Amino acid sequence: MFFHIVLERNMQLHPRYFGRNLRDNLVSKLMKDVEGTCSGRHGFVVAVTGIENIGKGLIRDGTGFVTFPVKYQCVVFRPFKGEILEAVVTMVNKMGFFAEAGPVQIFVSNHLIPDDMEFQSGDMPNYTTSDGSVKIQKDSEVRLKIIGTRVDATEIFCIGTIKDDFLGVINDPATV
Amino acid sequence: MVDHYNKLVKLAARAFYDDLTSKGENQVKSGRSDNRGIAVVILDALTRRQWVREEDLAKDLKLHTKQLRRTLRFFEEEKIITREYRRETAKGAKLYSAATAATVDAQLTGKEGEEKVKLHTHSYCCLDYAQIYDVVRYRIHRMKKLLKDELDNKNTIEEYICTKCGKRYNALDALRLVSFEDDDFHCESCNGKLEVESDKFVVQEGADGDDNARRRRHEKLKDMLQKMEIQLKPLMDQLSRVKDLPVPEFGSLIAWEARASAMGRAANGDMAGDSKMSQLGYNGAPMPYSGDTKVVVDFNGTEGNRHDVKSETESSSLKVLPPWMIKSGMVLTKEQRGEVKEEIKMDGTSTSTSAQYSDDKKSTVDHDDKKNIQAFPCSFHLKDEYIKAYYAALLKQQHEMEASKKQDSSDTFTENDPSSRASVRQVGIKSKHEEDDDDDGTDWEQAPVAGTGNENYKVNDLNVQADVAPADVDEDEDVDWEEG
Repeated sequence: MFFHIVLERNMQLHPRYFGRNLRDNLVSKLMKDVEGTCSGRHGFVVAVTGIENIGKGLIRDGTGFVTFPVKYQCVVFRPFKGEILEAVVTMVNKMGFFAEAGPVQIFVSNHLIPDDMEFQSGDMPNYTTSDGSVKIQKDSEVRLKIIGTRVDATEIFCIGTIKDDFLGVINDPATV
Repeated sequence: MVDHYNKLVKLAARAFYDDLTSKGENQVKSGRSDNRGIAVVILDALTRRQWVREEDLAKDLKLHTKQLRRTLRFFEEEKIITREYRRETAKGAKLYSAATAATVDAQLTGKEGEEKVKLHTHSYCCLDYAQIYDVVRYRIHRMKKLLKDELDNKNTIEEYICTKCGKRYNALDALRLVSFEDDDFHCESCNGKLEVESDKFVVQEGADGDDNARRRRHEKLKDMLQKMEIQLKPLMDQLSRVKDLPVPEFGSLIAWEARASAMGRAANGDMAGDSKMSQLGYNGAPMPYSGDTKVVVDFNGTEGNRHDVKSETESSSLKVLPPWMIKSGMVLTKEQRGEVKEEIKMDGTSTSTSAQYSDDKKSTVDHDDKKNIQAFPCSFHLKDEYIKAYYAALLKQQHEMEASKKQDSSDTFTENDPSSRASVRQVGIKSKHEEDDDDDGTDWEQAPVAGTGNENYKVNDLNVQADVAPADVDEDEDVDWEEG
């Protein structure tokens, strides 16, 4: 699920960026630093959308770096159990397949793939129905449901299922 | 109503506890100590009882108490029965027997005889129907849910186990386990191949974890679920039948006991004495303590002397009308209501007596023999009149007592001295004991009034064994303190 929230971060800025572009430099550095990171608490930071407030800088002893407390708005993405996501298959093996929904990695084990789909090994390993009408392989887009998440301090990993109504392949690259 | 619940218990017992064995001793046991099915027997036995002392239950079932206890503890953990423990004297146990006598069909022998002052912890158990209903429903629900979940593999997080080192992983570790050499997951520590550990309760044969095995398992689960539905059908029917019925409640042991003994007394007059005594003891002190017991023993002794006194007064006084003949409108003398001295004495002091007076109301109706009428004065159901009379008589009596104490110390003494009674106890004369108890209660209260008389009694009384007297007088005074 996506959230738009305000976060705070202490930014250290090298003295060489001081000048009339200080603020812009600070913001671009903030974006570079936080976008794409993941915290267990808030999820993945997708994008910084605005700066709320930049506090007074504090010159660090010895280095000349200046620390600015920055409050910024950002969009975060945090997967939840039971959530339905659309994801792209990245790898298929006989244990199941991995998919990515943006930054989130999702594993779908073969028990959570409908029983009528069988694993086909080969050059392009895939799961195919017996009549061959539906095929899950690398780069397929699937809609899946998250049934478990592991949230570490800097990492979120999910397991999903496509064994439910309206889940499964939504766009097969082979047919497009 | 209870029948339906009992049927539920029986069905549940057979469905779930049929093959229950006591755990500790399952090594080399032969057929002899094979106690499977004992759980069912115990539960069945409990359906025929209400509260039951575990020793008695063991005796009835011809089981060893230890074995019974073990099973009962199991049932307690399963929330099928409730148990209560009570430290009590042999008398307390008797109290219970009196209560059961009223309710239980198969009756155990009432224990008469030696009154041990020693305390024993007795445990009692009783089926908890309300909880049984819930427990059974929950159990079935869990069983079904487990099977169903397993069946459609819903929301199960796969577990993997390393074939080499036995390390376990689950699907959440999957990302770290992927190796790029082949399709399999590999153990992080030993790089061994990981296998799906799929079956929680179905024995997996072949264990190749492929679709075939999966399908087989699926079939098995489906089968199991179906079988379960069929086999538990009667139980579930019974559950739905019982659903809207009020649950039979026996209440706590204490409440039940009181109720049961009251019922018993109402049912048959002879029981009255016994249960009443027990109740008295019980109300007076929920946790029986040795002091109480002693007191009772002392009372019991009285009746030799007491009886004489009473019969004497009886003959001289007006004829006492039986309770059922007295109506509220009637103009009667106190004597006619049976409100003479004795009754007043009865209620004069002991709180316990008055506490149970509502019970007496009931029971009086049924007492037709004379003794009992005296014991339970008929006026009890005419409360107001009774109270008036009570105060009047109490006053009168006190005057009398004081006067008579001075005049005739030996006569008073027979009433007052507990020591003379101790030796005269007999088993057969229960109901008389009760009367005496009550009378004595009054006497004690009056003891302080005539308090200085104690010494006199000892010297003057001819009926008493002088050597025992001092000790008993002491006790008597003790009791005074407690009651006062």
